[in-house]
Amino acid sequence: MLVGIPLESTTNYTAKPIDCADEMSVHLTDIANSRSQKAFAEVFSYFAPRLRSYALKQMGNEALAMELVQDTMANVWQKSHLFDAEKGSPSTWIFTIARNIRFDLLRKQRNRKEDICADDLWPVLCEQTADVNEVALDHQVTLDEINIMFTRLPDKQQQVIEAIYLEGKSQQEVADEMNIPLGTVKSRTRLALQRLKEMLDE
Amino acid sequence: MINFHPSTQQLDDFVAGNCEPTLALMISAHADMCSHCMAKCQQLQNIQSVGAMSDVPTDHGPDFSAMMARIVQMPSAPGLTTLSAKQASIELDGKQFVLPRALRPYVKKTGDWSRLVGKLWQAPVDMGDLGRANFIYMEKGGKVPEHTHMGTEITLVIDGQYSDGMAHYDCGDLTVLDGQHKHLPHSEADEGCLVFSIVDKPLFFTAGIARLLNPFSNLFFK
Ligand SMILES: [Zn+2]
Repeated sequence: MLVGIPLESTTNYTAKPIDCADEMSVHLTDIANSRSQKAFAEVFSYFAPRLRSYALKQMGNEALAMELVQDTMANVWQKSHLFDAEKGSPSTWIFTIARNIRFDLLRKQRNRKEDICADDLWPVLCEQTADVNEVALDHQVTLDEINIMFTRLPDKQQQVIEAIYLEGKSQQEVADEMNIPLGTVKSRTRLALQRLKEMLDE
Repeated sequence: MINFHPSTQQLDDFVAGNCEPTLALMISAHADMCSHCMAKCQQLQNIQSVGAMSDVPTDHGPDFSAMMARIVQMPSAPGLTTLSAKQASIELDGKQFVLPRALRPYVKKTGDWSRLVGKLWQAPVDMGDLGRANFIYMEKGGKVPEHTHMGTEITLVIDGQYSDGMAHYDCGDLTVLDGQHKHLPHSEADEGCLVFSIVDKPLFFTAGIARLLNPFSNLFFK
């Protein structure tokens, strides 16, 4: 990891990551143009072990690592026409594909809902648009509505809520001021919040 | 002019795929609006790929030949991109706001606008597990009640400008606020201000009638 390197010092960095960048670019073009299995074999044998190392380091799991290698190299095979040598080297392109696949694999593994996907964050291959389902809207509450609900509470509950939530007093302070037991303040608060919640749910 | 950018560390984590998804989304959207950070990300990508792909494994490793044979059986996949097909803007009161690319998938998950108080509008965005997000539009003179955060609030200015008692924010500015900050966002810009804001925990209102919202802020700002 190259964390915290000041970017200024890298401004003139020219990406010449591997000696064979030019060679790999040619292979990718051959794959795109003629589905050359020979060219793919070259790219594959160079990158597959490297991708496995990267994935093992990142995820520490052999099965996941192999899944990442497979998905990444399948993308290289199927989408080599999206590689643009003007934009960067083959290894940068393949790294970004692997990074995206890793991100999605890890989220899938944690059983997160499909709410964000790597291709939206980093449009490396930009294609799929998983059609997002319309989701029912939650009830919206405005301050005006809250005000109206508040005034519908019994007076005694209003007083307690007002003191606690508008004036910021503690329940004990409210009890002392109103000269009522602490337990009464607590139960009035609880009942009031419960009532407000019911009104919100209506 | 954009003054608030993600830190180099945050960009580095983003490029590596290691930052929190919500922050990643906001950085992605910011980079869509900020050519400076976009260029930085590309540099970081170059640097990281050198590190990530130069590691030649020492062990013999598995036999990849079956995998390769499987892959070359796959058909070539169709090309570019359906991004443009995604709805690129949201509308409020007949006014169209064009969104940065990264936020476009959420147009369909954006609910109706509702007026909150005075000159403040809110449209909730369903982010699933990611947190609670809103488009918030402040008309000129509009204010969000003073609040602090129990979690983190990440805000990106999409259109116009606003201030919050700590600083002045312009289109494209990205800010991350936590519980240490208490602020009162308001806009004095003639065209008002549209922001996209994600909170991972409910807001905590600190003043006035809005305090009454605290027990329900998880229902309110979602
Ligand atoms: Zn920036």
